[in-house]
Amino acid sequence: MQSSKFLGAASALVMALGFVPNNVHAAGAPAGTVINSTADVSYTVGTVATTANSNLVTVTVIEVIDVNVTAQTANVTVNPGDTTQVSTYWVDNIGNSAETFLLTLNNAVTSDQFDPIAATPAIYLDSGGGAATAGIYDSSDIVYVPGSNDPALAADARAVVFVVNDIPGNALDGQLGISRLSATSRTGTDVPGTPFPNGGNGINGVVDAVIGVSTGTDSGDTTYLIAGVSVTAAKTQAVVDTWGGSRPVPGARINYSIAVNTTGTGTATNVVFTDNIPPNTTYVPGSLALDAVAVTDAVDLPDDGDYVAASGPTPARIRVPLGSLNTAAGTKTVTFSVVIN
Amino acid sequence: MIKGNRFYGLVAIAAACLGSPAFAQDKDPGCIVLKSVAEIEQTVVNAKGEKTTKLVPASTALPGVEVIWTVTANNICKVPSEKVTINNAVPEHMTYVANSAMGPGTDITYSLDGKTFGTAEQLTVKADGAQRQARADEYRHIRWVFKNSLQPGAQAFARFRAVLN
Repeated sequence: MQSSKFLGAASALVMALGFVPNNVHAAGAPAGTVINSTADVSYTVGTVATTANSNLVTVTVIEVIDVNVTAQTANVTVNPGDTTQVSTYWVDNIGNSAETFLLTLNNAVTSDQFDPIAATPAIYLDSGGGAATAGIYDSSDIVYVPGSNDPALAADARAVVFVVNDIPGNALDGQLGISRLSATSRTGTDVPGTPFPNGGNGINGVVDAVIGVSTGTDSGDTTYLIAGVSVTAAKTQAVVDTWGGSRPVPGARINYSIAVNTTGTGTATNVVFTDNIPPNTTYVPGSLALDAVAVTDAVDLPDDGDYVAASGPTPARIRVPLGSLNTAAGTKTVTFSVVIN
Repeated sequence: MIKGNRFYGLVAIAAACLGSPAFAQDKDPGCIVLKSVAEIEQTVVNAKGEKTTKLVPASTALPGVEVIWTVTANNICKVPSEKVTINNAVPEHMTYVANSAMGPGTDITYSLDGKTFGTAEQLTVKADGAQRQARADEYRHIRWVFKNSLQPGAQAFARFRAVLN
């Protein structure tokens, strides 16, 4: 016992020198673990064989305070004015003992172009529960209240945290907005190697705690990219009369061409182009085409285009689903023809 | 018995230079007193501003830290000890550091199970149905066999390093 008292004094010296391990493992040997070692020796004196043991040497594992925060989807594309954008984070206790962490949200990061608007409340703790809802943001998740339900994590344990933000309506296409979640050890933060004698959260008063490489705090970023998109259609017409001229007389044919263009960095999904057949004209069956490839008039799949006959007050129209459009998709050209009654 | 204990305490102080009080010892220590110590390497800056390393006794350690285990054997009898063999298990939660075992005038062997000892080349493990050479991080025991007898008053020395997992 006396010898261990001496070694305790030696350990204080070690800590005072600010020793910093350069390869702290995630968790590793649990804090407070007492590692024993005894050597033995065998030898002979004359003809007598003897064995002996050394003193027992004990080394107690110090508590390392370390945390890792990772955004599960680092980059999210949004539109201006989008609401309830949910980001999932993992807060991992990579130390070797239980520790409690304060969560904070910072949407005012200066290295971006707009500030996401934190919802009220903005931070939720995953309720876990059944496997069906674990890791999924839903109504059963728990509002995080700093100081009240700070995640208390055993070594190697993980808290799943959700952050809810709105996107400002005045954010511009191509702008970035960063939302940063931080988890900070309730024991303290400091440069790696800083000791908390008899500190730490898991085994207070039993062993020393030391700040690990994370400095006792870590953060993860979700970066929102405004990916605005606008789809425009430009319609042109050419009249061909029955005599080869271009007079809009009864019996003359009008060839319509509509160029559908996409601008912006985003992608418009489920784009459907529709155009009513003008009054006093009749659709020319089989004239509908997309990018100069004829599509059938029938309302069928997987054909990209239909002619839809008039129904009550709804005039006859052509309808061409264009799917997902972005600037890379280029211009989509819809053509059809009518005859003047 | 009492006499032996007191003597042992003195030897411990002399051997380790720790100024530590005596260790409890239940039986006559015999001719060889074996002493084990755990230390950690520290980088210190001396008066000239140069960085040097020194060993500091460690009763606590951080995961990832390399602990240096040193065993000293002192012959306190007036006759030589022969066939001196020191054994030390790699402590639990620790991993042996390759090529770290050393001891002047010794043949060093290793063991995975504490029963079969061999050189690095001799130790194999079965993996995926085939035998392969054991890795240093799989060694669980180290043995130092001293080639020469340990003379009266002499001290023998064995050391290895292990990383706290």
